Amino acid sequence: MAKCFALMGWSLPVIESMQKLGKPFVVVSFPDFQSYAEENNIPFVPYKFNEWSDTSNSLDLLEKLKAFDADVAVPLFEETVEWAGALNSIFRDDPKVLNRAFLFRNKAMMKRKALIGGLRVGLFEEVYNKEGVKNFMDRLNEANLQIEGEEDSWVHIKPFASAGTVGHRLLKSKADVDRKCEEGDFPCLAESHLPGTEFSCEAFIHGGKIRFLNITEYVKLGYSNFIPEGKHLNSKRERIMQEMQKLVNIFGIQYGMIHPEWFLTENDELSFGEVACRIPGGHILELASKAYGFDALAAFVCCHDPNLPEEELKELLPAPDARPNEFYGNVMIYPRKNRISQLVIPEELKEESYFLDHTLVPPLTTQKLDTREGFGNHFGTVNFKGEDPDRMRELLLHYENVDFYQ
Amino acid sequence: MENQAVVDKHQDMFEELLQEYSAATALTKPEKAQKLMGQIDIMADSRSGLEFLFERIEKLSEAGIFLGSPWADPSKLVPTLVNGTLKSGHPNSTIEILSEIRLLAIANGKMKVGNLTQHEAANYIQEVVVSNLEFVFNEPLEETRLVMSDHELSKVHSLFQFLSAYTDYDQVKAKIAEELYLICEQRPVVTEKQRKIIAWVKEKISLDPENPDDRKLLSFQRSIYRPTKRCIDHDFRTYRETLSSLSPEELKAESQEIGEMMLKHGLVSQFQASLLLFLVETKKVEIIPLCLGLNPSGVARFNELSTYVIQLIKEIIDPFNAQCIYGLAKMLENSVLSREAVRSGLSNLLTIKIHPEVEKRILKSTRTPHEKVSPKQYLIGAVLRILGQPLGVGQGNNPTCQSARGISMWSQHAPAKLIHMIQTAAVYDDLTFRFEGREVKYSTTPQGLVQALDHNLDAVSVTLVPMLDRVYNEMMRLASGRGEDPHKWVNPALYGQWIQVGFASAYDYMSDAIIDFDGFVKVFYATCHPDFNGGNRLVYPNPVGIFITSAKAEMLGFHAVSLLRVDKDPEGILRAYFLNPNNEGRQDWGQGIKPSVVGKGEVYGESSLPLYQFAARVYAFHYNTLEATEKMINVPIEEVQKVRQIAKESWGQSYNWLDIRKKW
Repeated sequence: MAKCFALMGWSLPVIESMQKLGKPFVVVSFPDFQSYAEENNIPFVPYKFNEWSDTSNSLDLLEKLKAFDADVAVPLFEETVEWAGALNSIFRDDPKVLNRAFLFRNKAMMKRKALIGGLRVGLFEEVYNKEGVKNFMDRLNEANLQIEGEEDSWVHIKPFASAGTVGHRLLKSKADVDRKCEEGDFPCLAESHLPGTEFSCEAFIHGGKIRFLNITEYVKLGYSNFIPEGKHLNSKRERIMQEMQKLVNIFGIQYGMIHPEWFLTENDELSFGEVACRIPGGHILELASKAYGFDALAAFVCCHDPNLPEEELKELLPAPDARPNEFYGNVMIYPRKNRISQLVIPEELKEESYFLDHTLVPPLTTQKLDTREGFGNHFGTVNFKGEDPDRMRELLLHYENVDFYQ
Repeated sequence: MENQAVVDKHQDMFEELLQEYSAATALTKPEKAQKLMGQIDIMADSRSGLEFLFERIEKLSEAGIFLGSPWADPSKLVPTLVNGTLKSGHPNSTIEILSEIRLLAIANGKMKVGNLTQHEAANYIQEVVVSNLEFVFNEPLEETRLVMSDHELSKVHSLFQFLSAYTDYDQVKAKIAEELYLICEQRPVVTEKQRKIIAWVKEKISLDPENPDDRKLLSFQRSIYRPTKRCIDHDFRTYRETLSSLSPEELKAESQEIGEMMLKHGLVSQFQASLLLFLVETKKVEIIPLCLGLNPSGVARFNELSTYVIQLIKEIIDPFNAQCIYGLAKMLENSVLSREAVRSGLSNLLTIKIHPEVEKRILKSTRTPHEKVSPKQYLIGAVLRILGQPLGVGQGNNPTCQSARGISMWSQHAPAKLIHMIQTAAVYDDLTFRFEGREVKYSTTPQGLVQALDHNLDAVSVTLVPMLDRVYNEMMRLASGRGEDPHKWVNPALYGQWIQVGFASAYDYMSDAIIDFDGFVKVFYATCHPDFNGGNRLVYPNPVGIFITSAKAEMLGFHAVSLLRVDKDPEGILRAYFLNPNNEGRQDWGQGIKPSVVGKGEVYGESSLPLYQFAARVYAFHYNTLEATEKMINVPIEEVQKVRQIAKESWGQSYNWLDIRKKW
């Protein structure tokens, strides 16, 4: 059993889960949080994750964590994945743990690894400027046997090491490349557009085996998802489980949780998109907790502990074949105007029997919105619950287009 | 209709979220509270939702929903702050609503928090109700409508309906009577507010003529609904039919009674218009002065100008445009109608064709426009009201104190100029002014201070204010960058050349500081204090700039008023009497400085303060440079120190003070 978990990053829900679980932990995060931590008796080590130097590095952090007897590091956010990897390499005396962490932080490296291991991936390449993207598009067009006058093949570019949709751009033509790409985007990963419906998996892994698999159905990337997966995806669950275990094996993951994104085509082909090993966005673990009736955050943390007793693991996780009756979904709301002054909850939503609750906040007087990063900061989430996944999808699609702000 | 299934679902959700909130540790409580408040926000817009919350308010309170917020301790809440909070939207408005519900529960003995007694809680609720009559009557001001969404409005309205059901209005009768008295004693040109309150009282509260508070309220009611006994069981139409059967003596008595009723509160009933028109039609000219409630000088002027006045009555007065009868009566008394230029101007107005845009504004400002009354009748009716009650002009909820102050000043000192301005503006929807040799034209100047005009104004103001505001703004722009307050040049150009040339400002633009405040106060006293200015009375209103401060005496901003006169009140205290174009003269500026509107020697519409208190809020005024500088040495330093201290401890905190002497 872990003597003490080092939680890498500040997350109140995770801290609360750990307190309820009664397991020893210490939070490592930016010094900004120190006073709050002290006021609330939260064991805390201030550390500047964005600094890497002779005095700010994993060995130094390790020293600071000794006082807490920490022996398992848990990455909560994308930016702490290498830090946790470095610490766990030392804790487990296995240098590859760190290398594996790098794998999660470089999307090109990640794809190569997947390709080598036999997963189906799109065509991808590292690009260094707009010309590079256009050349990539040319080669793709060529491979797709483009005839003059036909549309260009779609290309996605993504930063090597950002979470979720941050910096992700879809380029549908060469003109798009000129219009949408900025100097700051490069170098980055360019990849061909993968067809099919997108979904994510949250696999809780212990001892190199998937102990529980959640499938999150994406209704629209960056906007809406629900748990558990709908009927069609559910019918492919076994297939997905096989591919997932393959991914775990290829990457050599022993402990923790991974959150990959996949594409499923109409011909039942599964393509690998990318994978992360931190807490997923979109309130996914919140939805999973409610749908399966377990504390997904506590389970997330505990899976990182190599010495977790089997009984405890079973208690923390739902049964591997669990299938909840009710679906939990959410849609993230982004204002659709540059200037907003009022929050208006539509009557139809209040009367919707699937509507659960919302966390929308009204704007401050007349608020001008910042330019968007990724999909921008959403202004809150609207949550739904209901028995029919098709109705759920319909609702999420509908409310994605409702203007809650005027 | 509310769907029961939806209601049930919301109630289930509430219970679930309250459960999650209660179970959360301090770490995630704020997040859970946000969801819970979101659910309460949804439920709070109906009566049934509020009933539900009322049943659970103790649980909510115990779960800690108020903890760590300004609402934590109910004994520390301030009823007058409720209105602003309700307007600030969710989540503030939602927790404010919960807070009221909690106080109601305390008042009803359902729960207890701290030492707050049932009686104290009940008092609090009553004060909240009284200071939020706009929500009780569900007649939000334009400003309120602008800042609140429909959902927020229905939340707040539901709250007051709910509170109403549990509130014993017998307890608020005295407060409403006092409120009505204080509004009416200011004789505002726009009378919608008091009429609405009177209508509400009539609908909600049964009154007992034996009870003194009830009698006060009945008197207000009668002035609108039943000014004389003969009006009982009649509307103004059937009332008129009864008039032909009256003997001349009875008609006289009826006219006298109805005229006196109008004078009581300055409110005119539809019956009075019927009667007045009847007298005109049946040529009972000698009775008309009684119906107008005229004093002897008014009667003399009426007799002199009766043909003209009767013509005006015929053209303008209508049961649906009745309130201007009061203005007409006051015009006769204050002699403004004796001026040939005024009569010519009014005659001209009767012939104009109003610009469609202006017509739109006029009809928008008329709460219930009636098809029988033309926009022109409304406009001229408003002219009569303003000329009769120059101190009743208000700015509504618009940042246009300058324009309102101007209309008030002109109606007293340049009425013909005002009428001509109204005529030009009404016909062309445009206006030009002279400023230092150039022309400033409304239609070619950029936007002023008003973004969206609040139409809670009289018809003259809605015609002129949008233009005056822009013209003023443009003049300010032209005069800026001169190292001094632009008002020095703009005031005389806007208001009239009778504004004194000298301009004293406590604030120095170049050094961004308050400079030689002692000298400033001395000049002020030498200008208007009769002990130091040679016993002179003020002649024209002085456009004065004042600092507005909060009830805690903190600097809030700037405001334009006009100083009308300085006199001793009935108790012998020297007071400044001034016009505050803000609709409500009653204010609390902190440090015990509370302008009074009645009982301290004020004429209707005036506000007053002891002179030294007024001086302690002034930052700019006009003065006669030839006179004041020689007289300022007479002002004793103790007087100056008194003003200085009050100033320095209030708005003065927001400025640097430099004690350099300045040449005045």
